[in-house]
Amino acid sequence: MTAFSPRTDMLEAEPAVHLLPPRLDVSGLTKRFGGLVAVKDLSISIAPGEILGLIGPNGSGKSTAMKLIMGIEKPDAGVVRLDGTDLAGLPTHQIARAGIGIVFQHSRPLHRQTVLENIKLALLPDRLTRIFASRAIHDRAREIAERVGLGAVMQRRPGSLPFADLRRLELARAIARDPRVVLVDEPFAGLTAPELRSFSALIDDFRREGRAVLLVDHNVKGVSALVDRVVAMYLGEKIAEGSAGEVMRDPTVRRVYLGGSLETHVRDSAALQAAPVLLDVDAVSVFYGKAQALETVSLHVREGEFVSVVGLNGAGKSTLFNAISGLVRSTGAISWAGRNLAGLTPAAIARSGIVQCPETRELFGALSVQENLDLGGQHQPVSQTRDRLAWLFELFPILKSRRTQAARTLSGGEQQMLAIARALMMNPRLLILDEPTLGLAPVILEQLSLALGRLRETTPITVLLGEQNVTFALPHADRVYVLEQARIVWEGDPARFAAEAGAAYL
Amino acid sequence: MTLRTPWRTLVLGAIIVALGFLPLAASAYVLSVLTVAYYFAVYAMSWDLLFGFAGEVNFGPTFLIGLGAYAAGLLNNEGVPLWLCVIAGGVAALAGGVLLAVPALRLRGPYFGLVTLVAVLVLQQIVVIFASVTGGEIGLSVADVLSIDPGPNYWYAYGFMLVCGAILVTLSRSALGLILQASGQDAVEAAALGFNVAKHKMAAFCISAVFSGLAGGMVVFYMGTVSVDSVLDIAVGVQVIIAAVLGGRRTIVGAAFGAVFLILADELLRPLGQLNTFLVAAVALVTILFFPDGFMGLLARPGART
Amino acid sequence: MLALQILIDGFAISALYGLGAIGFTLIFGVSGVLNLSHGGIMVVAAITAWAVAGDLHAGTYIGSAAGIVAGLVMALATYGLVVRPIQRSSVIPRDETEIFVLTGTLLWGIMIQEAIAFFFTTNPITVVPMIGGVVNLAGVRVPNNEIMIAGICWLTIGLLWLLVNRTRAGRVLLAASINPRGLTLLGFELSTVYRSVWMIYGVLAGLAGVLLATFLGARSDNIGQLTASAFSIVVLGGLGSVSGSLIAAYVVGYLETLTAYLVAPTLRTIPALLLLVLVVYLRPQGLLGRR
Repeated sequence: MTAFSPRTDMLEAEPAVHLLPPRLDVSGLTKRFGGLVAVKDLSISIAPGEILGLIGPNGSGKSTAMKLIMGIEKPDAGVVRLDGTDLAGLPTHQIARAGIGIVFQHSRPLHRQTVLENIKLALLPDRLTRIFASRAIHDRAREIAERVGLGAVMQRRPGSLPFADLRRLELARAIARDPRVVLVDEPFAGLTAPELRSFSALIDDFRREGRAVLLVDHNVKGVSALVDRVVAMYLGEKIAEGSAGEVMRDPTVRRVYLGGSLETHVRDSAALQAAPVLLDVDAVSVFYGKAQALETVSLHVREGEFVSVVGLNGAGKSTLFNAISGLVRSTGAISWAGRNLAGLTPAAIARSGIVQCPETRELFGALSVQENLDLGGQHQPVSQTRDRLAWLFELFPILKSRRTQAARTLSGGEQQMLAIARALMMNPRLLILDEPTLGLAPVILEQLSLALGRLRETTPITVLLGEQNVTFALPHADRVYVLEQARIVWEGDPARFAAEAGAAYL
Repeated sequence: MTLRTPWRTLVLGAIIVALGFLPLAASAYVLSVLTVAYYFAVYAMSWDLLFGFAGEVNFGPTFLIGLGAYAAGLLNNEGVPLWLCVIAGGVAALAGGVLLAVPALRLRGPYFGLVTLVAVLVLQQIVVIFASVTGGEIGLSVADVLSIDPGPNYWYAYGFMLVCGAILVTLSRSALGLILQASGQDAVEAAALGFNVAKHKMAAFCISAVFSGLAGGMVVFYMGTVSVDSVLDIAVGVQVIIAAVLGGRRTIVGAAFGAVFLILADELLRPLGQLNTFLVAAVALVTILFFPDGFMGLLARPGART
Repeated sequence: MLALQILIDGFAISALYGLGAIGFTLIFGVSGVLNLSHGGIMVVAAITAWAVAGDLHAGTYIGSAAGIVAGLVMALATYGLVVRPIQRSSVIPRDETEIFVLTGTLLWGIMIQEAIAFFFTTNPITVVPMIGGVVNLAGVRVPNNEIMIAGICWLTIGLLWLLVNRTRAGRVLLAASINPRGLTLLGFELSTVYRSVWMIYGVLAGLAGVLLATFLGARSDNIGQLTASAFSIVVLGGLGSVSGSLIAAYVVGYLETLTAYLVAPTLRTIPALLLLVLVVYLRPQGLLGRR
């Protein structure tokens, strides 16, 4: 089974040329959070009836850009013109009334109201004096409910609805506002193939109605059939623009997403294959409310192996790791060194040898590097911690020079090293690393890669690495799983991955 | 949770009518307990509007009630006619509501709760400092009263509660109520739908304040006195919250039931002396632990909740 | 020498306020809870000390120890019977947990107050100080008790500081206030951490209650005011900041003492209240608040 079948015919099609003036014209949009520049000088424009895809991994700034346009965050600089009028800096409700609508990634209906009442809300004017909604509003709400496919469940409350219907409700509320521009955040997350098709049709209707649409998503592939043009972002800046096909082939985009050329460093696989299975994940599923984040995922890791789980942001890697670490509830069976992990607290699981270094790192910002490391080693015998600390300072020399500094004053790369070092202080049997390279500069990636390589060659540690950056992950993998939209879609050794899957990964 | 099923509406209607006829049958004692309960119901319903519909927890509802009560009492002692005093009480509380709304719009969670508690403490101190005018801890008596007979007093209270209840319930079911709920539940989404959340929250504060203040004013002319213990006590405020939570948050009607229940329970347990407050507090604690949706939550049929 | 009198009296009362406030802020910083039954725990400790010392004729030392133990027990009871069930409840919506905890602890405080009034009446009680007598400091008569209170408070505060900053266990508490998830990932059971914090809090509140009883006396009617002054101080200093609470305690303590001596004892609480209003409007996160 191959899940990678690029629809080259569609991607090569010429994007329609729009001669109309842009409906939404964003230029020079910038936002800083303290020292971090989340969005840097972003300029995009969308014509009426055009669908633009804004693509980027976590931390690329795409979500912040969307919030800036909608007024949920105030931009530090830049202009957001809607049909010529600059809306930048205005409060959200004024931007909404001016004609920009948004469909949030997470459904947030009013739980105590029916579907119909939720839609009616979106039709109400912003007045204090309205006591009764007019008949016209009532009728229009019904009309919209029918249009999005909620006609049968109009009188029900959101709590009783399936996930896809909740997403329809969000779309309905956006439609009710009759916006000139629609911002849609990750439209297809959690939807099945048939649901996806009906959603695409609804979004396509926006195009026919002459609205401008901005689709924000993690990856081009998912939205390529729908969008006219794509803008790719990384670390706050625009790195590519063009048709979906052009962007997917763009060398900068490929380097940022894949990391560059694919290399493998294979170890003695026979010995590894003979090792006992340490971690066995069997048909594990996870639901966040109604949304399915993981669908009957099965994998195993043998003692001493380095296993990579590759997948784009949002594929489910963090959910998988959190299920293993006991931080989220899951169905299915997870066994560790022969025993079932069900019923153990997350702290107990960590103490039993499965140590996770999550994407968010979870450092103690106000404490020093040394104190962070000490806490990591607190459950270990004192004699061992001293040696371990020395070894870690050798592995990550920069931490030694910063040992008295507060963790939050460290750079991104240094914080990542600290997080890994702190996890290693626990003397784990299985180290789970979740997207260690996210948002890091290439120079730091080099250092991390070196450190990981040394771990692989000089210690018996077992590692489960979750990464979007395949170039980083592959040289440190004995085996590879590919996770896509909550499912394992590919499994095999690195050499086969480079040959088969790599090209169509995006 | 709606009362749309005909059965429930009929029962409610029957209760309302029956209670109206009570003075013809009940003793003065029963009537006086219920009179207090009805005013308390208005306190609780106003609180529920602010909490349920704007998502703001007012830990010191007696700030608004006290403002209304003292304003009414003080003006009456200057010779202002009774009904004007009550209205003035509403206006004074309205000013207080605006004062509370300002930090509410900028503070999150526990901070705002503390502001509301501080407001009560400050008002208490002001009353005590200016004791020559306000009567200090002992309190103030007013010359006018609504009536000296328990029957008319009962009807004033009952009618007042019905009118306030009708207005508050209508508001909560109205389009404005829908917007208020959205503002309270999810301010970002409400803004994305084009609603000025600040404006609507301010409106909620004002509505809650006006009704609290009017009720406070009415109580002054029922009891003939106003004092810190009766209208400015933190404990009274806590009872208002308990009443609304016991009855069922965000239902308005539930708050009225909760208030009546609380006052009746307090009276029934009075022979136990010191322990009655303990018992009521204990019951309230158990309720919020195990039945956080209160009476209305228990009444709603299991399937109807989704 | 009025100034010296004010200085000394203010110092002692501020130290006492500081002890109570630190416990209050510790619970907020680590456990995220604003315990509105704080005054109740203090007075239970005070009453226990008085009852054991007097009725059981055990003497003031054992009485005080019993009082502190009572504080510990009440704190654990508050956590186990009220706070934890609400935090773990499946019927209470997640975003309303804070409000329910506030209301729950408020109700619990009322229950404690009424129970004390029922069993011990509302009359004030005092505990005989451990060190009696008066000493003469530069012309001012100071009860030895006051000096001892200040001493004990600062000793306790110092020990607490040592615990948090210099011991491994203490660092876990500090880490819990910064990032509980991080601690879980490192293999620490949060439930144990929370229990430990509540126990420390119980000892602090119990000690503060017992000392208060030897200094100003305690009664059940005072409970609300004790809680109010503790959270006023904590809000002033910044919720979650221990050093902020300490500084604020001294600001409030001296404001009160100055007002009591120079203006009128009945108006003691006014300046602090005004300050609180100012802070809440202008700088809601307090002096050294983190959030």
